[in-house]
Amino acid sequence: MLFTILTVLGLAATFLGLAFHRFWTTRPEARTTLIYADVVRMFFAWLALRTVQMARRASPRAWWAYIKGLPLWREPVLEKWLFICFYGSFLYLAASGFFFGIFIPRGLFGYPLVAHVMAGGLFAVCLTIVVLFKGRDFIAVPKPASLSLSILDPRKMGITRARVKLWAFWLFAAAGVLLILSALLPMLPLLRTPGQRFMLEFHRYSALVSLVAATVFAALALFESAVKQPG
Amino acid sequence: MSRASGTSLRAAGAALGAVLFLAAAAMGQTASTPPAGAANSKHVAWDGNRTLPVHLLPLRDENDEPIIPTETDPLPYSARFTCGPCHDYDTIKGGWHFGAMTAKTSGRPGEPWLQVDPKTGTILPLSYRKWPGLYDPRAVGLTAWDFTRLFGRNLPGGGPAEPSDEEALAEPDARWSVSGKAEVNCLACHNRSGRQDHSEWAKQVLRENLRWAATAAAGLGEVGGMASRLKETWDVTDGPNLDDHEWAVAPSVMYKTTDFDSKHRYFFDLNYQPADDRCLVCHSVAPKDAAHWSADRDVHSAAGLKCTDCHRGDIKHLMLRGYESEAVETGNPAAAAFTCRGCHLGEDANGDRTVTPGRLGAPVPKHTGIPLVHFKRLACTVCHSGPKPREGFTRVRTSRANRLGIYGVATWSTDTPAIIEPVYAKDESLKIAPQRLVWPAFWARRTGKSVAPIEPAEVEAAAGDVLKPEEHIAQILIGLSQVTAEDEMPVLASGRFVFAPNVDGGLDAAESAEAKAGVPALWAIRKNGQLTPLVPDFDPAAADKDPAIETRFQDYLQALGTTAGKPGEPVIVVRKTLYRYADGFLNASEAPAGLAGAAGAGWLVQDKFEPLVPDFDIRTMTATAGTEQTLTEEQVSLILGALAKGAAKETFVYISGGRLFQLDKKGRLTARPNDAAAPVTWPLAHNVRPAQQALGWNGCPDCHSGGSDFFFDTIKGAGPLLTKSGAKRSAASFMGLGGLFQRVFGLSFIVRPVFKIVLGICAVVAGALLFLAGLVALGRVAGFMEKR
Repeated sequence: MLFTILTVLGLAATFLGLAFHRFWTTRPEARTTLIYADVVRMFFAWLALRTVQMARRASPRAWWAYIKGLPLWREPVLEKWLFICFYGSFLYLAASGFFFGIFIPRGLFGYPLVAHVMAGGLFAVCLTIVVLFKGRDFIAVPKPASLSLSILDPRKMGITRARVKLWAFWLFAAAGVLLILSALLPMLPLLRTPGQRFMLEFHRYSALVSLVAATVFAALALFESAVKQPG
Repeated sequence: MSRASGTSLRAAGAALGAVLFLAAAAMGQTASTPPAGAANSKHVAWDGNRTLPVHLLPLRDENDEPIIPTETDPLPYSARFTCGPCHDYDTIKGGWHFGAMTAKTSGRPGEPWLQVDPKTGTILPLSYRKWPGLYDPRAVGLTAWDFTRLFGRNLPGGGPAEPSDEEALAEPDARWSVSGKAEVNCLACHNRSGRQDHSEWAKQVLRENLRWAATAAAGLGEVGGMASRLKETWDVTDGPNLDDHEWAVAPSVMYKTTDFDSKHRYFFDLNYQPADDRCLVCHSVAPKDAAHWSADRDVHSAAGLKCTDCHRGDIKHLMLRGYESEAVETGNPAAAAFTCRGCHLGEDANGDRTVTPGRLGAPVPKHTGIPLVHFKRLACTVCHSGPKPREGFTRVRTSRANRLGIYGVATWSTDTPAIIEPVYAKDESLKIAPQRLVWPAFWARRTGKSVAPIEPAEVEAAAGDVLKPEEHIAQILIGLSQVTAEDEMPVLASGRFVFAPNVDGGLDAAESAEAKAGVPALWAIRKNGQLTPLVPDFDPAAADKDPAIETRFQDYLQALGTTAGKPGEPVIVVRKTLYRYADGFLNASEAPAGLAGAAGAGWLVQDKFEPLVPDFDIRTMTATAGTEQTLTEEQVSLILGALAKGAAKETFVYISGGRLFQLDKKGRLTARPNDAAAPVTWPLAHNVRPAQQALGWNGCPDCHSGGSDFFFDTIKGAGPLLTKSGAKRSAASFMGLGGLFQRVFGLSFIVRPVFKIVLGICAVVAGALLFLAGLVALGRVAGFMEKR
């Protein structure tokens, strides 16, 4: 139950945070001084409008056109298949894991479980390759920090979209490693029943962290490309 | 705050305190509740001393009169009046072993009583408790008297064996007034003496000496006579049967006077907790054909525990059965502490740690590496109890179903009914648990979808000769054996078998190298293992014929002439000569034209030659010989036809091997599935194996492999009917699991080691890179590393 509540809250917060980021960065009022109540009111009005607009535009054909337009298909062959496997396995893992974890009291079982385990193996291999060969693109370059109270000031932390994306990548990678470990260790003759129980919960929460990180990363990346495209 | 409001607050506080105190007291009481309810006024309260008082007691009979063992014809002792003064008899009567007929709840299914009648092919699962798949004896026409006669050998008295006077009078065919009632037999369980003899109990019950059975079984005295041979007008107050001192001897008891003191008190050597061998009299289970030395004990027994250490009870005798939902079902929270999970893990049925674990030193299991789903979906007994799954399952025999543990000149134990284990099926809590299984077999009336069993006697009456092939052949052979030499045995050779009469009046079938399939049946004499035709081929007209042959013919015809229910005059036809036995002489004459083609021994019926037994009898015996089956499809068709003839508007069916057999409109026998034909299962809990013999000790492939017996063994419907139409089910189907999925899942364990290695490498490489990236970031934040 706790997991379900945290999942709903975590995903809602991520969604609202990302939506607000998009709303705010496209507003001319962003640099003006507004009272918070007005910002909230304007955000939810914008969110409702966007929801209606997107619902009107959504159709299988539109979705297919959107997917065909993704830069993924223009990648070199190895990278293309690496990312197809990576994204595909992650999407199935998240979908099956969260659906059964939240809606089915028994949890994952049967063929979906077998597919989950197989997708997990594929995801682990892809994640390792991505971190090995693409991780270098996500190394942040922070300034050396100075010992002053200013390091606690959010406005001086340099929280930019690019940096959030980098953190999201490494958070996703870290959660991925924890997912692999929490899947592997229960399969080995090491853990007793309390250990098994802990690992199951650990696997679930690692999955929640990885989903939030992946959502943030994907939203920022897609927003970036959407902003670039018209230009 | 006003004074008034302060006062009312104090009053409310006091009231709340009182409520809380009472609630706490109530909870405290609940926690200290004895296993099965409160004590009653008659029960002797335990003073805390762990020793058992010496039971040197005056015996009392069923009239509550003291027994003087040296008197003439004393009555047997009565537990009601001997034990009753201290231990409330009526309370005990409601106990688990005695109160099935009156119990409000039935609890988890247990072993049914199996009414077995080989002749009619009946294996009918019965119980007074409302367990799925079982029939209430009252609903199938069995009175308490019938039930006691059928199963009294394993009843500890009480219950159906001790009906009230009104109930006894309501059974006009019963002989309660002659046999007496079998009171609750306290000594059956609590007697520590090695004299306690279950075989004696079974023998006395068979003789209908019900009121004497407990006295005889406990060795208090020697019981003679048989109530079953007395007229129904005899009463125990009549004393010895003066009309008959040999056959219909009235039961009587001769007490062992040396075991009494001068005040006529008898020393009972008792146990407070019954010893294991008292329980095992009726609760033994062993693989069929297993050697005694190879049987292991339950690990709990081997560790020094007794059955009653877990299966406890108080004066109410509502023994704890030890299954997980028992605490909720019975409303007795203490029951949760006496399950596998309660003792070893300290968990109740919901998995909450509400119980103090480790009772009597129960170890905490490690269960290292076993995924959690196993504990949610499986009962502990799946991995730890019963024999390990193996191809064809393990055929077992149980005390009650197969009449084990009754010793004497005759062999009491039987192979039928066929019980197999472990069949893994979902129990009442939807957990998979190992079960014992038996396929029901019975004749029934069908009305719509409901099937009502009919009594074997009714089937036998309708079937007539159809059920008597063995009887017919045995009758001929036994008749012939009266005139053969001591080293000779008349036999019938048919198919691959040679049939010889046995001491029980039946036939023993032995495979013989000489007998060949497809060859006509041959009546023969077996001497030194060699078969000689009963009627050899010779020329009766020849001058040099062996005169001994015709002497033998005379003997044979003379013997056959004594056959009860013979259809005609016995004759022997050799070539064209007809031999008859008349007026003490053998008469040889030319066979009339009507006997052309006849040969051998037979009957002359209206100038026609009939074989000694009909072809149907030989065909039936040959087909079922060497098998456990006793009926052929031909017999079933004929009997169903005979039953229908007697009641044209009713539909009759026979159930066997997991199928319902019925005649179609053209009179052909058809087989179809039916709920009534489904196998009956009941959970097994013992023997518990040691941890190293548990499933999973050798890893997942113990169960999860492409062809494991756990999932993929096949159960074939077994029953008295010889048929190829029996049901077939996979082990996985009992668990409610798909066989294909389990096969795919099982095969995945072949690649699991590689999978684990790959995951390990991925975790190490990705983890190392993450660690490095973290170090780089940390180094830069700390200024140890320059920007590039």
